[in-house]
Amino acid sequence: MFAVIIADYFFAIASLGSVAEVLRQFAVVISNIALGLGVISLLRIHGRNVQRRLEGRWLYSIVTIITFVSVFLLGIINTNGDQYTWAFNHVYTTLQQTMYASTGFFIVSSAYRAFRARNIDAGLLLIAGCIVVFTNAPIGEVIWSGFPVIGDWLLGPGQLPGYRVLMMIAGFGTIVYAYRVITGNERGFFGGGE
Amino acid sequence: MILKDGRIVAFILLFGSFVLYYLFTRMMEQGKAFKIRTLAPLEALPEAVGRCAEMGKPIFYMPGIGSSLSLSSGAYILAGITILGRLAGFAAKAGVKLRLFTVTIDAMPLIQDTIKTAYAVEGKVEEYSDDNIELIANQSSLVSRYLGAVQRESPAAACLIGYLAYESVVLSEAGNIVGAMQISGTVNLYQIPFLVASTDYTLIMEELFAAAAAVSGDAGAVGPIAAEDVIKFASLGIMILGMVLAPLGITFLVDLLGL
Repeated sequence: MFAVIIADYFFAIASLGSVAEVLRQFAVVISNIALGLGVISLLRIHGRNVQRRLEGRWLYSIVTIITFVSVFLLGIINTNGDQYTWAFNHVYTTLQQTMYASTGFFIVSSAYRAFRARNIDAGLLLIAGCIVVFTNAPIGEVIWSGFPVIGDWLLGPGQLPGYRVLMMIAGFGTIVYAYRVITGNERGFFGGGE
Repeated sequence: MILKDGRIVAFILLFGSFVLYYLFTRMMEQGKAFKIRTLAPLEALPEAVGRCAEMGKPIFYMPGIGSSLSLSSGAYILAGITILGRLAGFAAKAGVKLRLFTVTIDAMPLIQDTIKTAYAVEGKVEEYSDDNIELIANQSSLVSRYLGAVQRESPAAACLIGYLAYESVVLSEAGNIVGAMQISGTVNLYQIPFLVASTDYTLIMEELFAAAAAVSGDAGAVGPIAAEDVIKFASLGIMILGMVLAPLGITFLVDLLGL
């Protein structure tokens, strides 16, 4: 099965393409079945929390279950309906963006601790970080017109070689992992442990 | 031409890689010893558990976000779950409470089985509890829940190993606020700087896979990692050759790789 999918990418054989397309559809169906399994797990775990009145969690589990059922029913009725759209745009997206927005404060906290010139490497990082900050802040260009030039170089050609090398290495690692899964050597995938 | 244009060399390289992985696996099965170099984050796992045991506090684990069946995150989450098995063994042995937070609903049975198996191997299956594994509906909810749990329970150590996105900096800073020792690892390039800055140990990019292979330790896992080093050196050689030829206007290497 894996061989068919991989072969379809490389070989121009019409019958192989149609078989691979069917297998890809299988994969979509299987992943959706897994999603259904996950939903059952979610309801089972949170339902058990409510049933056992698990301290500190059962109220949140009630909220989770009620929210899940409500949105699920709205989606079943009409995913393009006003109520479903409202729930997504005005509840889910709003809450998600709120949590996402808090990231900025944590980044500042992390940067305050990380950007210290303890050694040469840290010093270079600090200088590069300051230049990029001044590049993105409008006042940077007012202070010195060279900041955007240097900053854009750092964000572009300066980091591109390192970025590409790391992406290549990640690609190699992914291929190795895929080989181990295909050949059954990655037993953790099948829940077998060590 | 039976092979698609522009993919001939890629096919040869991929097939050659698979042959190399197989050969190295066979070499290891026949007694040739390949060792994965010491990975500091992996070596720090017992230290983290020991710290928790001394302070009487739990250890937190988050195996990343996304789906285990996803192309973008699946492999990394599964690698994180493999490392979780090793940590769960240490935690069971030391009697440390392992608290896990995840949004990967399709991998939930695998996570439960991994931890339960680790406890059973240590003969402490009665100490295993599903209550210590929290399944949260989505990414932002996980951030909120984790932040609250860290503040209330003050873990002595935390591990964030898997596919991480924006929550990496938030969760790692939450651990720093309570003074937890933190071990992290991800393949998401944009989050690595945050993790390196915020955590004590970081598995960078494919070190995550190497760590998962080191945890299992068998020939089928370690052999391909060793073969991968050969491939990396070969790729480095091709890059250096290209760097030398390109300024001279010689394009045969580019043309060859583009076949």
